[in-house]
Amino acid sequence: MAGESLGRQSGAEGNSSKAGEGLFAAYETRPAFYDEMFAATGQPRAHCRELCEALDGMPRDEIAAMQAHAERSFLHEGITFAVYGEEGAQERIIPIDFLPRLVDAADWDLVERGLRQRLEALNRFLADVYGPGRILADGAVPVDLVRGCPQYRIEMQDVPVPHGVYVALCGTDIVRTNDGFVVLEDNLRVPSGVSYMLANRRALKTSLRNLFRRHHVRGIEHYGRLLRQTLAELAPPGVTDPCIVLLTPGVYNSAFYEHIFLAQEMGVELVQGSDLLVHNGFVYMRTTAGLRQVDVIYRRIDDDFIDPLAFRADSQLGTPGLFYAYRLGNVTIANAPGTGVADDKSVYAYVPDMIRYYLGEEPLLANVETHLCREPEGLEYTLDNLETLVVKMVGEAGGYGMLVGPHASPAERAAYAEEVRKDPANFISQPVLDLSVSPCLTDKGAAPRHVDLRPFVLRGRETRLVPGAFCRVALVEGSLVVNSSQGGGGKDLWVLSD
Amino acid sequence: MLSRNAQGLYWMGRYLERARHGCRLLSDQLRTMEDRPVEQIEQSWRRLYRAIDRTPLGGHLESIGADEDFMLADAYTLADDLTFEPTNPDAIRNCLAAARENARQVRNTVGDRMWSCLNLAYLDMRDIGIETIWNDQPGAFYFRAEDAIRTFGGIADNAMYRDDAWHFLRLGWFVERTQLVAALVSAHIATFPTGTPHGDADWRSLLRICEANFAYRRLHSHEHRPGHVIDFLVADPHLAHSLRHALGQLTSALDAVSAGKPLEVEAGRRAGRMAASIDHDWPDRDRNDDAATHAVLQGICDNCRHLHDDIVATYFDYEIEDTP
Repeated sequence: MAGESLGRQSGAEGNSSKAGEGLFAAYETRPAFYDEMFAATGQPRAHCRELCEALDGMPRDEIAAMQAHAERSFLHEGITFAVYGEEGAQERIIPIDFLPRLVDAADWDLVERGLRQRLEALNRFLADVYGPGRILADGAVPVDLVRGCPQYRIEMQDVPVPHGVYVALCGTDIVRTNDGFVVLEDNLRVPSGVSYMLANRRALKTSLRNLFRRHHVRGIEHYGRLLRQTLAELAPPGVTDPCIVLLTPGVYNSAFYEHIFLAQEMGVELVQGSDLLVHNGFVYMRTTAGLRQVDVIYRRIDDDFIDPLAFRADSQLGTPGLFYAYRLGNVTIANAPGTGVADDKSVYAYVPDMIRYYLGEEPLLANVETHLCREPEGLEYTLDNLETLVVKMVGEAGGYGMLVGPHASPAERAAYAEEVRKDPANFISQPVLDLSVSPCLTDKGAAPRHVDLRPFVLRGRETRLVPGAFCRVALVEGSLVVNSSQGGGGKDLWVLSD
Repeated sequence: MLSRNAQGLYWMGRYLERARHGCRLLSDQLRTMEDRPVEQIEQSWRRLYRAIDRTPLGGHLESIGADEDFMLADAYTLADDLTFEPTNPDAIRNCLAAARENARQVRNTVGDRMWSCLNLAYLDMRDIGIETIWNDQPGAFYFRAEDAIRTFGGIADNAMYRDDAWHFLRLGWFVERTQLVAALVSAHIATFPTGTPHGDADWRSLLRICEANFAYRRLHSHEHRPGHVIDFLVADPHLAHSLRHALGQLTSALDAVSAGKPLEVEAGRRAGRMAASIDHDWPDRDRNDDAATHAVLQGICDNCRHLHDDIVATYFDYEIEDTP
């Protein structure tokens, strides 16, 4: 198919280009949003041209059938997550959209360097706030913001952490606007989604075999090996062949599938808090042949629940005494307790300053302009501009407790404003971002839908990341909410070689 | 291996064997209902409920009338009770759900194919009820469910590494089988005493439930003599569903998890004693004395319960000594 036949009409609000009968026949590009596949001229971007032509020549029903088949196998294989609602937990799959999102080598290079830079600064920030506190003393980040943050763990003060690595794994949410990549949030506690990234890749690699091969897509399948290597490097000093375990809250956790998957990929035991016990300052797991010492715990349980003696006393998920063993340096917990202070939605606003402070560099990836309601001017601005802002609760994640101003009714905005006034420090606001769009399969052929990406960065002795990400997509037309718990789907992200 | 995983595998084996046994019982019962008089169908239900030690929902079997329509209507209720009843933990769907839940927890031990097999079997059954299968072909439903469990067993047999995971799965499987077969034979004798004139069909049905009909005919005769049938189901070590075979399997599984020190622990000793009692004491009993036979079988059931407690105390939930 000739490239010209793929040209999209651009700039015309609401007008569709109907040239041709292919998948993209009715696809519209809108200048307000960066389109991952089509340039503003309506032509496919250079790195997307081949994919675009190939997909345009494929019957929609064929792709839809492959997509349905992949989703069925997700269900059969139990690649699910649990959503909690009034009717209890429901196991759901994350729907997959079969049209991959392509990122060229130059863009990925920027993302990768930006993420490395960011994680380095965040780790130094954590070592600083739980150590000498220079950045606080210098006033670059307000002391009360950090020490008053619910995720700040005073128990971590002056606790030695192997190699100064507090955050061994992070999943950073990045969006793209017409102005470039922007970091939406850093997930530094127990980021999830990596298993869906790998499941989506496997599904596409199987179904679109030839296309995949032709594109020289960079591999991501070695993530499990890198994760294991990273965790092994963080073992307590002197341990050469560490016993690593993955600590899960159990089957009722929404990401339980991912916990199984990662334990399997790494070849380590998947344990629950009740499988572990602490004796004489060391951690052991209960096996059929007696107790076995554990050296590294990749925990997928929030700080609050890891040790009822140190944190929440009512926790049934953790292990009594675990934090004591950690303080003694006899076991590594990754991520370290207390990392949440650095991904708090208010502290987020200061990450660019941290990069400048610790690394003396300008941030490679931008932050979203953030108004802190804890500050009077931030609160005033937020309340005055609710209809244009996204307001988030600092302690929430997964799209819960969020107000998307332009999409909310006046009554919803008024009710939310009331909540904000009651506890301003618990809220921040940001402008509604013009998230980029990527073509997704719909009943009427391909149509643009908003997307973000969550790459996963690992930090052991060195920083590692696989060239890929869990690409989340808002499947509902016009929606900006990509969270899986709110009906978002996933896409495979193909990072192309040079 | 992690104690909780071993426990998950053990229970997975038990639940799957229980579900499989339920399928066999019900598919045989449905067969009975096709061409047997009402009194015999009623007797057969009685044996079935005795074998699983359950009182049907809504009352005792004695309340079943002799009216044929009523009997058929009641069969619907009873089959529902044993297949889908949410409050019956031993109902087939509940057993499969429990096995799946255990498999989910130990998925990184059993592997994706075994998990998917069980997950699919569960998903097939999750959203249907007795009305769906009753209007269709209930026999085919039980056959399908049993087949899925057999497939699971086949994958396990072919794909699992012979480490503790395999042995604990097998252990659960055969502890359950021992208990179920002992209880079934015992219930059969209580319902159809050996000294009374017997219908060949009842003994054939007992063999069929234990997948022993074909082998029995081949090895013995077409005449089903109660004493022979019972001996076959209890003492023949080559019959996959005999008590002796099950005890042999569970003893070897226990040996394997005892790290090469056979019968070192109480669980191993108890299993060994049960197997020995069949080898040595069983042939000497008075074959015409149902009470004596029942007592032996009851002893095996009781010992199985103790064996379960021993296994839990030895491998899953043991006391921690002061110095690890």
